[in-house]
Amino acid sequence: MNCLIETRNLGKTVATSSGALHILTDINLLINAGESLAIIGASGSGKSTLLGLLAGLDAPSAGEVILQGKSLTALDEDGRAKLRNQLIGFVFQSFQLLPGLTALENVMLPLELSGNSQAKMIATEFLERVELKHRLTHTPKQLSGGEQQRVALARAFVTQPRILFADEPTGNLDQKTGAHIIELLFQLNLENQTTLILVTHDPVLAARCQRSITLEAGRLL
Amino acid sequence: MNTFKLALRLLVRDYRSGELSILLIALIIAVTGSSAISLFADRLQRTMDTQAAEFLAADLVVSSSTPLVDGWQEKATLLGLKQAQTVEFTSVLIEHEQLLLAGIKAVSEQYPLRGYLKNSDSDYATEQKRLQGPEPTKCWVEKRVLSALGLKLGDQLTVGEKPLTISHIITYEPDKRGDMYSLSPRVMMNYADLPATQIIQPGSHVHYFFQYAGDPKPLLDFKAWLKPQLNPSQRILDLHEDRPEVGGALTRAERYLGLSSIVVVLIAGVAIAMTTRRYTERHFDAAAILRCLGCTQSKILSLYTIQIVVLGITACTIGCFFGWLAQALLMQVLHSLLPQQLAPPSWLSLSFGFITGMVILIGFALPPILRLQQVSALRVLRRELQPLPASAWFVYGLATSIIGILIWRYTHDLRMTTTIIGSGLGSLMLLMLLVYGLLSYSRRLLPHLNLTWRFGLQNLLQERQASISQILAFSITLMAMVLSLTVKNDLIDNWKQQLPENAPNHFALNIFTEQLPLIQQDIKNLTQNDSQYFPVVSGRLIKINDAPVQQRVSKESEGKEATERDLSLTWSATLPKDNTILGGNWWTKDPKPGLVSVEQKLADNLRIKLDDVLTFSIGSEQFTARVGSLRKVQWETMQPNFYMIFSPGSIENYAHTYMTSFYLSPQQKNFLNSLVKNYPSITVLEVDLILSQFKTILAQLTTAINYLFYLALCAGFTVLFAAVYATLDQRIYRGALMRTLGASSSLLNKTHVLEFCLLGLISGVLAIILAEVVTIVLYHYVLHLTYHPSFWLWLIVPLSAAGVISLTGYWGLRDVVKKAPLQVLQQL
Repeated sequence: MNCLIETRNLGKTVATSSGALHILTDINLLINAGESLAIIGASGSGKSTLLGLLAGLDAPSAGEVILQGKSLTALDEDGRAKLRNQLIGFVFQSFQLLPGLTALENVMLPLELSGNSQAKMIATEFLERVELKHRLTHTPKQLSGGEQQRVALARAFVTQPRILFADEPTGNLDQKTGAHIIELLFQLNLENQTTLILVTHDPVLAARCQRSITLEAGRLL
Repeated sequence: MNTFKLALRLLVRDYRSGELSILLIALIIAVTGSSAISLFADRLQRTMDTQAAEFLAADLVVSSSTPLVDGWQEKATLLGLKQAQTVEFTSVLIEHEQLLLAGIKAVSEQYPLRGYLKNSDSDYATEQKRLQGPEPTKCWVEKRVLSALGLKLGDQLTVGEKPLTISHIITYEPDKRGDMYSLSPRVMMNYADLPATQIIQPGSHVHYFFQYAGDPKPLLDFKAWLKPQLNPSQRILDLHEDRPEVGGALTRAERYLGLSSIVVVLIAGVAIAMTTRRYTERHFDAAAILRCLGCTQSKILSLYTIQIVVLGITACTIGCFFGWLAQALLMQVLHSLLPQQLAPPSWLSLSFGFITGMVILIGFALPPILRLQQVSALRVLRRELQPLPASAWFVYGLATSIIGILIWRYTHDLRMTTTIIGSGLGSLMLLMLLVYGLLSYSRRLLPHLNLTWRFGLQNLLQERQASISQILAFSITLMAMVLSLTVKNDLIDNWKQQLPENAPNHFALNIFTEQLPLIQQDIKNLTQNDSQYFPVVSGRLIKINDAPVQQRVSKESEGKEATERDLSLTWSATLPKDNTILGGNWWTKDPKPGLVSVEQKLADNLRIKLDDVLTFSIGSEQFTARVGSLRKVQWETMQPNFYMIFSPGSIENYAHTYMTSFYLSPQQKNFLNSLVKNYPSITVLEVDLILSQFKTILAQLTTAINYLFYLALCAGFTVLFAAVYATLDQRIYRGALMRTLGASSSLLNKTHVLEFCLLGLISGVLAIILAEVVTIVLYHYVLHLTYHPSFWLWLIVPLSAAGVISLTGYWGLRDVVKKAPLQVLQQL
């Protein structure tokens, strides 16, 4: 299998009033294309920070992230943004849908950003795949949590990204809805041959992934 | 899909979701206000210019002591200008053995080029407007001519050698000036009859007026062509010089129009700054998601800039339309008060409203928009991440520059603009520091306060920076409103003082010393008032510090005329009422002879300084006096005013007469005939027509200014509401959380009212201090009005600000108290 993401001695430190706080220290990871990986750990162990660094949402304080052979550290913010647009999809615990936009418009947005003229058609198709065809014109406020997360899933997969990052995708949902979302997530992952990296507390979700890594106090166990 | 299309889509989606309403409304208010005022001010200005031109009866007038020069007529015709000519001179008329020194005015067919004449067919007939003077062989006379010479309408009046039929009584002529030719009883005749009078001979003392009217461009060309050719006896008349009482009032009114526009721009700026800030903060999440989805910083900036520009164009277009409607409505309301021929609205000023809107939008919206491109993509994971606030220097610098440019555009005076901006900004910064200190100090009070007060104050203190921005916004808006109120009131008061009811409307000159007691008694009997009598000695200024005065004047110098004719010199122990000493001292304590007080403008033109020695010639004698003081004279008061006033004991020995001014009602006008009959040597100048004309224009200006103020006030209040609403999000969130934790409605209500009350109170105090500082500077440098502190404003402004702001805040937050907290939080 070919390596898609690699981290070398990755670290994140922030300055606080009581001195430097090491959130992540010496993280070395290899993630292969098509693999599904769960990052687990207690609250405050640095899971979300690691996800942010892997996705290029944040810059590390030490070490580097290599994505498809390219060091993210060498790229500026705009370079990373471009890479995100081409390769990466996201699903968040708090859904992060734009409140003023309808479900369809939310899903169309990444396609529109990359200049896809078929945005509406493709977005509709993806919403159909998450069983929300009847909710196209509804805004996030009019959707339940589970429905919002399904819209978020559709938005994440609509550009057919190579990597999907999911931050506690079921964290805000009840067990039944969460299970449904997990089903969908893995189904879409399979269909699209996406590399899935997710952060979770949920052992059931972690168990669905091919591999799990555990963080404790910013270090890999 | 290109960025533009995407930006448009996002904008439409934002609009549909209601995100844009407050920003859009603020923008529309701003543009409506500025375009309504810009249109209204421009129309009024152009109407006033036309009216002002009426005061000269033309757009451009050249006065000359010689007949028309070859080539002028051809050049004016070539440029497409309309032309007219008038000739004025005094002549003694004799009828029925009665003598009368009359001011004769011969007018060509085209006169008047601007404005109109008024006459009547009989004593009791109503006046008629006329666009032409008398026909050949006819003449129009003032009513007094008829009674003085024992004539009636239809009789013959012989001017020089030419008998003319009196066809009408003249009641109004637009360009009636305050000199001897104009103020002696008027006889108006046709220009064609002039040669037949045989009065005008070489060397006769005659004033020719060549009048031109047309479009501004050819007029300017003609003026530029004419100026180098004028000989020393020819002069282009200027409203500000030749009709100072009208010119002064107009200049101030124009400045008020400018001020109103600045006030609206300022208020609009605050509204836009507040609402774009809110808009931006509500788009942080969207920007973060867009960044996650791969938008580059520059693309985010383009997306939002395009949205703001499109939003601006839409709002400006709607605003311009409403502005146009508002000014049309205003003009309709003012129709009966305004001159009948109103200048039409101009596209230029409409486009100015549009441009002003776009400039303030971009100037005030750019800093918050720039923050959006700084939003970190990581915000999707850590919502608390806020982009760095735009540099305060950048935000305030940009806003100040925009306001500065707009003020400069209105005043065309860089020094004045920098003075106003400097004083405003300086005091603002000082006051902000003070507020910062006050808020910091208040923190210490917190532990000693009860729950309501603690929550109320805490809300202000928690985000000190935000509170200071809000106070800044409220106080600038309030300051702008206070400023327009103060200036409006003082301007109108000043006009009222300048021309009180029963202001003197007649002058009597050449009263001999022996006639003085009798005339004083006669006038007092009639008017029941003690008029002031000034001694007058005719003399000419010939030397300044032993150098001939001609060396100090150039052809263009405004003081030239004063050196070419006799001046009316007077002496006085006390400083006349409307005079102010600008340099040196009045001789109240030490009235030594040989001192002179010089009018400041003349002193400037002739470069006369304190302690200079001036030589005067009176008849064949010469004498000198040292300049003891420089004086400001209010020429517009219609009181006897003097360029030179001497200390007692300086010129009493020279032959002198007296002059006075007094008020006569229209019914008392016949008194003039008995006055002239009893004392044939005296000259009476009637300025009642000029005064009533001036009063009309002041009344019109007053009404216009009042309406402008109401407009500014409306804009101010609306913006104040919008500004309060723009700050509610954080408070709603906090309120909902407090509700979740069990806070009672009454606690929440009290807290909100208290918080907004404090905000309003601080802003009100700040606003009034700022307004006072700016008013002082404005009065001193721009409007030349006397500053009076208005103590009641110090009470009213902070209290009403606290009232209005807390009521608005209470209204805006009422949902937090009534609705379920979750429902409130979901709606945020």
